[in-house]
Amino acid sequence: MRRALPRLLLGLPALAMLTLFFVLPYVEMVAMSFRAPAAGQPFGAGYTVMHYTRALGDPIYFGALIRSLITGAVITALCLLISLPLALHLARLKGRWHVVFYACIVSPLLIGVLVRNFGWMLVVTVDGPMNRWLLAAGLIERPLRVLFTQGIVVMALVHVFTPFMVLPIATALRNINPALRDASTSLGAGRFETFWRVTLPLAFPGIQAGVVLVFVLSVAAFVTPALLGGQGIAYMPSVVVRELIGSFAWPFGAALAVVMAISTLAIVTIFTLLTQRLAERTRA
Amino acid sequence: MIRALGAIGLGLIYAFLLLPLVAVVAASLTAGELMRVPPQGLSLRWFIRFLESETFREALILSLRVAATTVVVTVTLAMLAALCHRALSRKLGAAFRVAMTLPLLLPELLTAIGLLFFLNSLGLGKSLTGLQIGHVVIAFPFAFLAIVAALEQVDPALEEASCSLGAGGLETFRRVVLPLAKPGMLTGGLFAFIVSFDMFTISLLLKPIGGNTLPLALFDFLTYDFDPTAAAAATLSVIFALLGVLVIERAVGLRQAF
Repeated sequence: MRRALPRLLLGLPALAMLTLFFVLPYVEMVAMSFRAPAAGQPFGAGYTVMHYTRALGDPIYFGALIRSLITGAVITALCLLISLPLALHLARLKGRWHVVFYACIVSPLLIGVLVRNFGWMLVVTVDGPMNRWLLAAGLIERPLRVLFTQGIVVMALVHVFTPFMVLPIATALRNINPALRDASTSLGAGRFETFWRVTLPLAFPGIQAGVVLVFVLSVAAFVTPALLGGQGIAYMPSVVVRELIGSFAWPFGAALAVVMAISTLAIVTIFTLLTQRLAERTRA
Repeated sequence: MIRALGAIGLGLIYAFLLLPLVAVVAASLTAGELMRVPPQGLSLRWFIRFLESETFREALILSLRVAATTVVVTVTLAMLAALCHRALSRKLGAAFRVAMTLPLLLPELLTAIGLLFFLNSLGLGKSLTGLQIGHVVIAFPFAFLAIVAALEQVDPALEEASCSLGAGGLETFRRVVLPLAKPGMLTGGLFAFIVSFDMFTISLLLKPIGGNTLPLALFDFLTYDFDPTAAAAATLSVIFALLGVLVIERAVGLRQAF
């Protein structure tokens, strides 16, 4: 115990840094959302709830919120769809090959979102490789124009967030005792049944963590819609940034951000409660 | 048959993951005037053009400066926090770990907005210090996780042995824990560097007036011009990431780091 105390003190600088520059800014954001607006300044004196009534009442903002939430759900579902096979594949590999494929999955994580989005721009432009391959294969008759559509935004974000989904699932799969699967097969269950009734429920905590993380991050993704989405489609993050930097309306921008954060949190909570129940039922 | 289809599907997913990165690197190597994949002939002329462009050069220097400071600050804070994490009980340790990684779990945009307001109230709005603080906050969890993972490989018995052989706490740290934690610090520092070098949203909201980081300059360039200089700028990020992965794999093994 004599030695433990100074050890605990070592955590203080980081804790102080995060309290000061992470927790307090969030508090400040909430406080800002109740500030009165002012002409010629980011915010005025006094407090009001008018920004919230405007954020929720105006169909432009409400529509952008709903669009962002739905797009976030679609992205999360697609991420899960391609991450499960990837995680299962990783779990089967050993040695050198494991490292190679692991690197394929984690190295995009180390490359900025902007650069990866830019890569998609190059791939899908009218005379880019995607159109050329599709034309050569005879699947399309004229080049597809996908840049600045919702489709390319979704695809690029699935690409951005897939590692966030694969890693927790792969960790959960790695922690499953292989003896359980062997037991299931030797008791007569087929490969599919073993997967469905043994592997999947045991990997569930990882899946749940991945789903929550990807949903939270994709709803608030700013760069990708800004670069690939064009001007036509309004997502909540772009709307918020426009209010903050473009119109210089800090309190209203803050209120929009808080609304976005709270709706995301509400959906995540409902999802967690529902799936928790589901998980308990499969286990029973 | 099913197996073959599965393999093809898996191959397609891996291709999906790597395609945009390959496209960026390929486009930067073109000898032609247009940014397209596959490139027309091979050359490094667009990298030279990139270095000759004053906008990009200034942005690159600012990015490297901010990233270097971020590495020093985050690795120091993360090393101390990781040592604290090691001393905590299992349950407390888990809570501490979540608290330390919060900036990674919440959207960068929200953190950026909060910081924009908060730094402004401190009088640090639109300053280099403010930008630096934002980078440290976002990069910190990456360094922390890497160092915690590396310290987990260190047997506590080694420290006890050192202490029971008469070394004090500081000496044990300097001669036993620090050398063993080095790979983790290297990995954590690399992570912090790469994350800071590529950070966009925080930089957009907190950048000092007239100061663009490389990702901001690249974004502006992509919105207004569209020549292979952009691909050369982006390739820089890809190269850093690949070097990072190689060094991390050598130092601690990829699986321990993520």
